[in-house]
This record gives sequence, structure tokens and C-alpha cells, in this order.
Amino acid sequence: MNRSTFFRFAAPSIIMMTLLMVIPLLMAIWLGMQFMTYTNINEPQFVGFQNYIDVLQDSRFWQSFGFTALYMVVVVPAQLIIGFTIALLLDQVSGFTRGIYLAIFLLPFIIVPIVGTLMFKQLFEPSGLITYLYQTILNTKFRFNEVSVKVLILINGIWYVTPFAIVTYFAGIQTLSQDLLEASSIDGANRWYKIRHIVLPHVQSLTIFILLISIMDAYRIFDNVFVLSELNPIYKADTIMTYNFQTAVTVQRLGKANAMAVLTVIGIMVVLIPNLIQSYKEQVEER
Amino acid sequence: MEKIKSPVGRVFIHVVLISFAIYSLMPFFWTTLQSFKNLKDANSRTPKIFFTPTWENYQELWLRSMPENGAAIAYFLLLAVVILICLLLFAEYIPIRNGVVYAVVAVAFVVLLWGIPRLVDTSKFYDYFINTIIVTVGTVVVSISIGCLAGYSLARYAGLAAVFILIAALGFRALPRLAFILPYYWIGSATNLLDTHLLVILTLVAVNQPFTIWMLRSFFMEIPKELEQAAMVDGCNRLTAFTRVIMPIMWPGIISTALFTLLLAYNEFLLVRLLAQTNWTLPVAISRFTGGEDPRHLTLAAASAVSATIPIIVVILFFQKNLVKGLAAGAVKG
Repeated sequence: MNRSTFFRFAAPSIIMMTLLMVIPLLMAIWLGMQFMTYTNINEPQFVGFQNYIDVLQDSRFWQSFGFTALYMVVVVPAQLIIGFTIALLLDQVSGFTRGIYLAIFLLPFIIVPIVGTLMFKQLFEPSGLITYLYQTILNTKFRFNEVSVKVLILINGIWYVTPFAIVTYFAGIQTLSQDLLEASSIDGANRWYKIRHIVLPHVQSLTIFILLISIMDAYRIFDNVFVLSELNPIYKADTIMTYNFQTAVTVQRLGKANAMAVLTVIGIMVVLIPNLIQSYKEQVEER
Repeated sequence: MEKIKSPVGRVFIHVVLISFAIYSLMPFFWTTLQSFKNLKDANSRTPKIFFTPTWENYQELWLRSMPENGAAIAYFLLLAVVILICLLLFAEYIPIRNGVVYAVVAVAFVVLLWGIPRLVDTSKFYDYFINTIIVTVGTVVVSISIGCLAGYSLARYAGLAAVFILIAALGFRALPRLAFILPYYWIGSATNLLDTHLLVILTLVAVNQPFTIWMLRSFFMEIPKELEQAAMVDGCNRLTAFTRVIMPIMWPGIISTALFTLLLAYNEFLLVRLLAQTNWTLPVAISRFTGGEDPRHLTLAAASAVSATIPIIVVILFFQKNLVKGLAAGAVKG
């Protein structure tokens, strides 16, 4: 395929992405330099870098950054460990039973995140099933407070993202070399040895892949926090995205919200750029 | 890996898997129960597993007033839906071309959706449901059409420009959504397009385009180049070779990608919440049921959650193989 045919085929997609991704991103930088609310959206007032400085000096922004980091540190490793364990166990059952388990495990992944979280929350309402069990077993009342809401967000996060790791690891384990496993059995390797020295190295590239995707997803976590904390500041459970949303919708400072979005983009670039350079090299080699 | 044979080991495996299955299913189980309870049962402090089920929550959610011959209409609609789904399932065995059957079923569904508000007095929730269908179908159609062209050319062109576009797309996919959505709001208010389906569809297409072209490209890569080269020797040009030779064998890959695009569009909350003030889709409508002091919120939230989940489960049941294939092969996720 020559260059001009390539551009003719790819044109609709490239134009779409330029108009609605590249240009908006540049616009966000410029909109971040305006003092802008919903009332003066058509004649914003230029304030330079003031909004960016405001964001960096905003203690609630750093607080939400802290909770996002906590979410990442808890949910991402939990997802990897539980996902790998369940995939290994799933490999042990076969046929119809395996299909049933897989279908059940996939459910949280398929469902609308808002709806899934809402269903999850129903268990913890005053009339909920878990609330009742919690009260009967621990003999104390279950309440929504700063700690419990944060814990719920973490458990719900694991509930929602683990299926992805299970399916990816499971597909990886299916492509293991049987010869290698048999040879190691003959050499007297036990199960733990095989998992450590054959299975784990085999799925290493998948681990990195899941790691990257889930770090980026954790960074922009929004839907489940929105439902579980109801954006109530007393729970101090804001993430970067929910605080950014509140700045735009509740506080109505559109300029500052744009500035915050730009700063979060710069933040994720630290993880993203080395990875992009790596993929660029791979793609050029593959060519 | 070889299977564990000891009975203790087998029991242990199933105990862990069943515990995880309970963790996965518990919210669905409980919410479905709640949605069929009356207000008193749903708010009972000791959870009721056994109770007299009632449809009243679903009625209140979907209907503004109960028609006199409600039961008859409900049975008629149920029958119509079952017939249409059977037609879809058994299309292969009907001695008419599959495409014709699918087209007839699609038209019948549209007529049905159009007819329901004229038969019964539906509530706002039905309008949100229709909005969701329009936005989802619109996004899938536009996204897949332009994505196929781009995915195909990216799979076939070896120049550096293709690599550059792919990597740029990968980068854009990873960025937080708000960095795009806030400028979309500004664009929308400048062009008076806020609250229209057009703006929501176009922006959803753009936001999902990087994912779509990567996934479609990986499916196009699996198709050997020789195929279209042979067609071009036989007198096709690039475009006719693409439409007549490549597209017909691409259907499984297209369905997989379309399924993921469908899920992304159906699930989108943040974008619709900011760009549409009244023309909500289901996730935004349902989010209104969280919180608040009104005790009815509990059962209505449960009924709305179940209502929004059923269409997705039906779609997934139809295309289960494509979903797992896409997850395993594409190694990409929204």
C-alpha cells in the first residue's frame, strides 16, 4: 500500500482524532488560563497561569491525589495476585464447570460500572445483607464514615477490575509449553517450583500489560467513587477525577477545572512516555 | 499444568473458586431480590430472603400510569420479544438469506420501541432507555465504519506515518477523559450542540477511536496480504478488494470490536453527564437514584439497576465467544 492510499483510507479517522482529541487537548491548556464560570463562558477573562498555581496550592487537590495513590497501591497489586491465583485454579477445572465459573467471574467486568457499584452499595445500605451480617457477627453497627467508605471503594475497585486480570492470565496459561512442564516433572520439579520458574516467566509480558492498563485506569477512577461517596466531602474520599469534576460542576470554576485536567495529563505522562517510546521501538522493529 | 488429583486438593480448589463466585455474584443476587420487594420488605432491618415478589417497582420505574389492560399488553410485548429473539437465534435454519432475517428483526425492534409509548403511558426512564439505544448504536456504527478503513490501512501500510499514528493513539487512549470533555463542553456551548445526541455520539466516537483502530488493526493483520493482491490481479482496485474480499472474512473481528465499543458507549457516564443536561442515557439516569432521603430510592435504584443490566446480558449471551476472543486476542480494554 502506498502513502497516498494509506492517507485516503485513514483520513476519516485521523480527521476525527485531530478535531476531537488533539485540538481539545490544546484548547484545555488555553481554557486553563481563563477565569471562566458558566455565566461568562462566552467572554472568559485571561488570567495567565493563575489557575495552574491555584491547583498546585490547593490542599484538597493533594488530598485527592493521595487517595488516588492509595487506591492504586492497594487495588493494582490485589488485582494481579487474585487474578493470577484464580486463573491458576480455573486451569485446574475443565469443561462445563470451567465455563460456568468463567461466566460468573466475568459479570462484574461486563456490567455498567455505575450500576455495578450501585448494586454493590445496596449490600451496605441500612437494610442491606452485609450490614446485617456485620451487625450480627461483630455486634457493632455498620456506618458510612471516612474509613468504611474508603474501604468500600477499594473492595469495589478490586471487584470490578479483577475479572480482566483473570481472563488475561487464564488465556496466557493456556499457551504454556506442555513439553517444558513434562520435562520439569521428569526432573522432579514440584508444583511451586513450576509456578515460580515456568508459569510466572511465561506470563511476565501479560503482567506488565495488566500493570500498565490498571495503573492508568486507577489514575482516572471516577464512577465507583461517585456512587459510593456521593461526592460528600465528609468522607474525604475524593480522587483526582472526582475532585476535578466537582471543580467544574459544583464549584463551577471551569478555568481551574481545565487547568487541573491539564496537570493530571502531565502527571500521567511520567508513566506513559517511557512506555510509548518502548512500543514505538517495538512497532518499528516489527515493520 | 497437570491437574491436582488428591481429593483434599480438589475440594480446596472448588472452595476458593466458589467463594470468589459468591464475591462476584452477591451484589447481583441481593439487588435482584430487593427490586422485587415492596417498600416495607426492602427496608426491613433483618434481610428477607423469602417474601411475596411484586412488580410494583418496575411498574413505577417504567410507567407513568398503569393501563387498564396492562397484563394483556405485557404478555403481548413479551411474546413479541421472544419471537424476535427466536428468529435471531434460529436465523440459520430459516430458508431465507440470513441478512434479510436480521434486517426484518431490526425493523421489527425499531417499530416495537416506537410503538410502546403509544400503547402505554411510559415514564421518563423509557426515554432515557431510547436515548441510550440511539447513542450506543450511533457510536458503534460511526466508530466501526471509520475505524475499519483506518485499521485496514494501518495494518497494510509499512511507513513511519502509520507507526506514529498508532503510538499517538495509544497515548491518547491513556489520558484522563476530563481533559477532553471540559473542552467539549466549551465547544458544545459555542456551537449550541449541548444536549444533542450528535455531540455525544461524535465525542464518544473520538474518545473510543484509538481503542477501535488498535483492535481492528490486530484483526486485519491476521488476514494474509496475498488475498487482496490476488483480487487486485483479477481486476479489483484497492477499495473493491477491501469491500468485496477482505470485509466478508473480517466479520468475527468486527463483531468483537463492535461489542467492546458497544459496552464503552453503553457504560459511559462522565461524558454524558457533562454534555447532556436532559437527554440522559441510563447510567446518568440511574446515578440520580443514589443517595437522597427518599426511601423509594432504594427499591427504584434496584429495579433500574436490574433493568439496565438485562439488555447487556442478552447481548453478551449472543456474542459470548466474540467477547472472550476479543479479551484474549486483542489484549486491549477501554
